[in-house]
Amino acid sequence: MSGRSLKIVSVTVASVGLALILLSPIIGELINPGSLWWIDPIAYIGAGIFIVGSLAAFTVMQLVSRTTSGTNDDRSWSQVTQDYFDTFAHDMGRPLRRILGKQREARALLNETGEVSQHMIAELLDEIENQAPNFRLMIENVRVLVDLEDRSAAPIIEPVDAAAIVRNVSDRYSPIARERGLELVWWCEPSEFGLVYGDGSALDHVITNLVDNATKFAEGHIEIRLTRSDSSFLVRVWDDGSGIAESHLAHVFDRGWTPELSARSEKQSSGLGLFIASSLSERCGGELLVESRQSNGASPGEHYTTFTLALPLDNRPVATD
Amino acid sequence: MTSRSIGGGQKILVVDDEHMSDLMRSVLRRLEADGFRPVVVAPDGEHVTGDDYETHTLFALQAERPSAVLLDVRFGEYDTDRFKGLSILKKIVEHDSKMPVLMFTQYAQGPYRDTAVSASLGASASVDFIDKLASPEEVVLRLRRLIGSAPETIKIGSLFELDADNAAVYAIDNGRRDLIREIQGMKLDILNELASAMYRSEGELVPFSRLERFSDGEDSRASLRVRIRELKVSLGRAVSREFGANELIINVRNRGYRLVNPTD
Repeated sequence: MSGRSLKIVSVTVASVGLALILLSPIIGELINPGSLWWIDPIAYIGAGIFIVGSLAAFTVMQLVSRTTSGTNDDRSWSQVTQDYFDTFAHDMGRPLRRILGKQREARALLNETGEVSQHMIAELLDEIENQAPNFRLMIENVRVLVDLEDRSAAPIIEPVDAAAIVRNVSDRYSPIARERGLELVWWCEPSEFGLVYGDGSALDHVITNLVDNATKFAEGHIEIRLTRSDSSFLVRVWDDGSGIAESHLAHVFDRGWTPELSARSEKQSSGLGLFIASSLSERCGGELLVESRQSNGASPGEHYTTFTLALPLDNRPVATD
Repeated sequence: MTSRSIGGGQKILVVDDEHMSDLMRSVLRRLEADGFRPVVVAPDGEHVTGDDYETHTLFALQAERPSAVLLDVRFGEYDTDRFKGLSILKKIVEHDSKMPVLMFTQYAQGPYRDTAVSASLGASASVDFIDKLASPEEVVLRLRRLIGSAPETIKIGSLFELDADNAAVYAIDNGRRDLIREIQGMKLDILNELASAMYRSEGELVPFSRLERFSDGEDSRASLRVRIRELKVSLGRAVSREFGANELIINVRNRGYRLVNPTD
């Protein structure tokens, strides 16, 4: 089997694990209708499968990159794998904890009183639905990471309707924003934005990570703005959260940047999404910048974080003589 | 009832061997609720293969004349059918190069995208991809945009209806439509602009730059603000209400305006 198909297999295994976790309430219901007992074990099995799958993915990835090119990385192979694994475990644990929390509450009540209120069931279902985009993003993040390690892979350049991509991301996150009491708006200038030449899938992924990040930190508002100049286009994602300390700004895009150190700590993000967004932007010939003003000293409405993605309007290779 | 008009009874051909799964059933239910008519391709027999789906899809394209196709990438348990959806896509595009096709992919846009695009033959093909875990609402939104034609009338919540073709806006009261005569000319244009954005996407804001052509005088923003206030008052009067700053038409800090569905 080639390295590539091994990669796909291991990522698939990891994804199956995630799917098991997500679908555990439904599977549990199928196995034994009316009882919540099976949800826990199935979710744990899913977690196990996910761990095995991700470990396999990185092992394969490292093996492949070792055979194709010598590695100059100071850190040892196991260290890198360990870092990746830590961040995945962190990112995956959060939505899982939220779902399991609701589920256990419901089960405790079921054990005590013999019935669960409609309200509680609705809450559990909402929680599952709301965590779905997190899982979707993580599955995609795993895939993109594996892809990024393949240094021979080049972005796919095609005509892309950038406004449609922003609209799609906005549609995906609007229900989550509404649920959290946030206003999410987007617009583009000019209104008829037109086509750009670039990697549409990468663009979607970078914007998704930025908006996902914004929904975690915003206090009331998120804005996505798409503009263009003569040679490039900009996607700006703005949130009115409490901001990032200046000393941390330089490390926002680091792999394994641990938020425990930062002011944004308790807000449940490993920063892996931003590392991926930044690496992907660079591979597409663009850059991702961050700007932030912290809440201390600033009056309400004056603290914010802005991520600006700049990409060339036309990224088709130029013919050289 | 309010959303009935969105799909306008258009047929959507659904080609997915998992059309009986809960996930797909929720999508079918949503399509019906929005006024579409899903037509499910379901070949008979015990060992249905991807080829069976292909044959039945091509037949259904001619027999049913759908407005769009919802197509899965993966078919059946056979290894040869792993990307059968792509070959069906190719056949659909050969049959009708303009047929809108929304394709379900397993993992977001994933590694199938490139293969799919190259298989889709030419840039005129109207093909889009969506993650199978997407919410039913997202699927319908995407499908609606892919089909592309704006509806003749746009409902604004359950209170108003905008008829762009006849340049008229109505207040709805127990199913009765009352023409709001005060709203015409530039005010109607503004409402039309805001309603179209809302129809396209929930969070879409109409920036000042786009609205300023509907204002005049030296201070175009001030003139626009006045028009919008008048518009809001006229709409409110028609339904005996007063819309506050955060209702119906919202001014987003120095950016522009957006229309939101009024609460009943």
